[in-house]
Amino acid sequence: MGLSRSRNCPGKRTTLCCAAALLLLAALFPSELRAADITLSSKTYLLYYKRDLPGSSTQQFAPLYEYLSADAGQLGGTPFSFHFYGWGRQDLQDATGSGKTSGELGSAYLQYLHPTGNGEMRLGRFFLTEGAAFEIMDGIFLKARTPVGLGLSVFGGVPAEATITSTKTGDSIYGGRVFFAKPGFTELGVSYLIEKGKFQGEDRKEIGGDLWLRPFGPVELIGRATYNDATRALAYQRYLLRLAPASGVDLSVGYEAYKYKDYFQTTLNPAFQFPTIDNTDRVRTVFAVLDWEVVKSVTATLGAKSIKHDTAAVGDATRGELGVKYVYNNNRDAAGVSAATVSADKDRNAYQEYRGYATYSPAKWRFALDALTQQYKQAISGVKNAYHVVGSAGYRLFEVLRLSGDLTYTKSPQFDKDYAGLVRASLFFGSGTGGKK
Amino acid sequence: MMRRACQGIVFGAVFTALIAGCSAISQSPSVPPRHPEELAGWTQVDCRECHSDISTGALKPYASFRHSTAFVRHHGLYARQGQNLCQSCHGPSFCQGCHARKEELKPDTRMGDRPDLALPHRGDYIVQHQLDGRMDPGSCFRCHGNKNDARCRACHR
Repeated sequence: MGLSRSRNCPGKRTTLCCAAALLLLAALFPSELRAADITLSSKTYLLYYKRDLPGSSTQQFAPLYEYLSADAGQLGGTPFSFHFYGWGRQDLQDATGSGKTSGELGSAYLQYLHPTGNGEMRLGRFFLTEGAAFEIMDGIFLKARTPVGLGLSVFGGVPAEATITSTKTGDSIYGGRVFFAKPGFTELGVSYLIEKGKFQGEDRKEIGGDLWLRPFGPVELIGRATYNDATRALAYQRYLLRLAPASGVDLSVGYEAYKYKDYFQTTLNPAFQFPTIDNTDRVRTVFAVLDWEVVKSVTATLGAKSIKHDTAAVGDATRGELGVKYVYNNNRDAAGVSAATVSADKDRNAYQEYRGYATYSPAKWRFALDALTQQYKQAISGVKNAYHVVGSAGYRLFEVLRLSGDLTYTKSPQFDKDYAGLVRASLFFGSGTGGKK
Repeated sequence: MMRRACQGIVFGAVFTALIAGCSAISQSPSVPPRHPEELAGWTQVDCRECHSDISTGALKPYASFRHSTAFVRHHGLYARQGQNLCQSCHGPSFCQGCHARKEELKPDTRMGDRPDLALPHRGDYIVQHQLDGRMDPGSCFRCHGNKNDARCRACHR
């Protein structure tokens, strides 16, 4: 299990953020805080597993997790909504992290969606993807589009990421995006992002470009690129050409490239810094995926990916994959098999992978089985094969409550033999219609 | 912190008025905050079953959002041009189940009963990431470059 860290008061900031959002909510809807559309979801997980560590006695772990999410829409009959998501852990036996408790506030924000023109505001803690931004932040986001298709979005606040908030100085993030959209034909955007912090001696400064273009029929080009204004170089680019020549066919080919020293300049994770990696390297990837609905409910997937490095130390690799998925029981169940092979210049990067899974949901029951194996060309820690099998059974006790349990078996270079158990209680309450949220 | 919060609230109020002003002129309806009808099943999503036109909110054909393998693998390209259409079916808990800042439970552990989903890091990924990370570290960087890296730091110090 992961480690929990408590540095430099993210909890205090989180509390402030929540308090501000809730106070604002109460101020806006003082005596009649009523929501026409409420969904509430609680998922409780109890895991159990053991670890035999070299030179140590056997440790037993039983972490209890609670994941809570709530969405309240149309507050007071207005286009305002409030969204919440967070989780917490309490270890019932040995500590799984640096302490016996941990948790995270993922989201807590007030949102305004204007009925026309896609005007939007978010205030609080939220997950934002907008141009160059891919952040969880405490702050504000505003977006609007004019009738001629020109639009603007701006955001500002404090990054919520645990690592970044551990830095003593520089804790703000802001930026925006200017875009033009013509319905059904194109959307073009240019964005800018600044994050104050010690990113290998520099602030994070990125200029982003994004494109969606459908020049004719079922042909679509989508892509994005990021220019690192701190290192003054194109850091990352990714483009995808999608074609749907028939209703059951989705073919896409793409290209991705990034330079380590420019793309990873903003990292605070030693895994992306020298000497763990050679930051003079560059990766160029070409990939393709074909989805073909052979007959109704049966889809075949064929994929390929070629990865090339500028430096010879890592070597190049090519992955090929083939899979078939069958959907049945009114889209409630699926079964699939897949196989993949990775051939590489270096044996240590080459492997084969096979997977099979199936679910079965008669009435109130649900069963699932998933098996995965990897066969490495070069042994890892003296082991060439890895196996992972998960069996699951669940029962819907009431319309809003479902209980299920999983048993997992793993044999791999890390585990001689590992069994883990999980009990899951899912509670869902929804007063409105719509998607699954 | 307080000064920044006050500035943000004032700025937000001004900009919200501006948004309402600009958008009120537009006749195109926004994406509804929630899909207006219940969706049957959950293993395969294809907007084309009901929609053949262009989403007035995302301004792209619904066909673009068919959850094919290509879409699932590259959904981030679409999401970076707007999250509204995603949000009408998916709440923050769905996105942040994977895109978290401090996640401890792997998505496939939480959803062991959903093998049909394309979830990252299946199997013993502590082992497998050594190969994937060497070959294509950019695929790790997007989520673990400067966030959600507690588990990385247990070994990468």
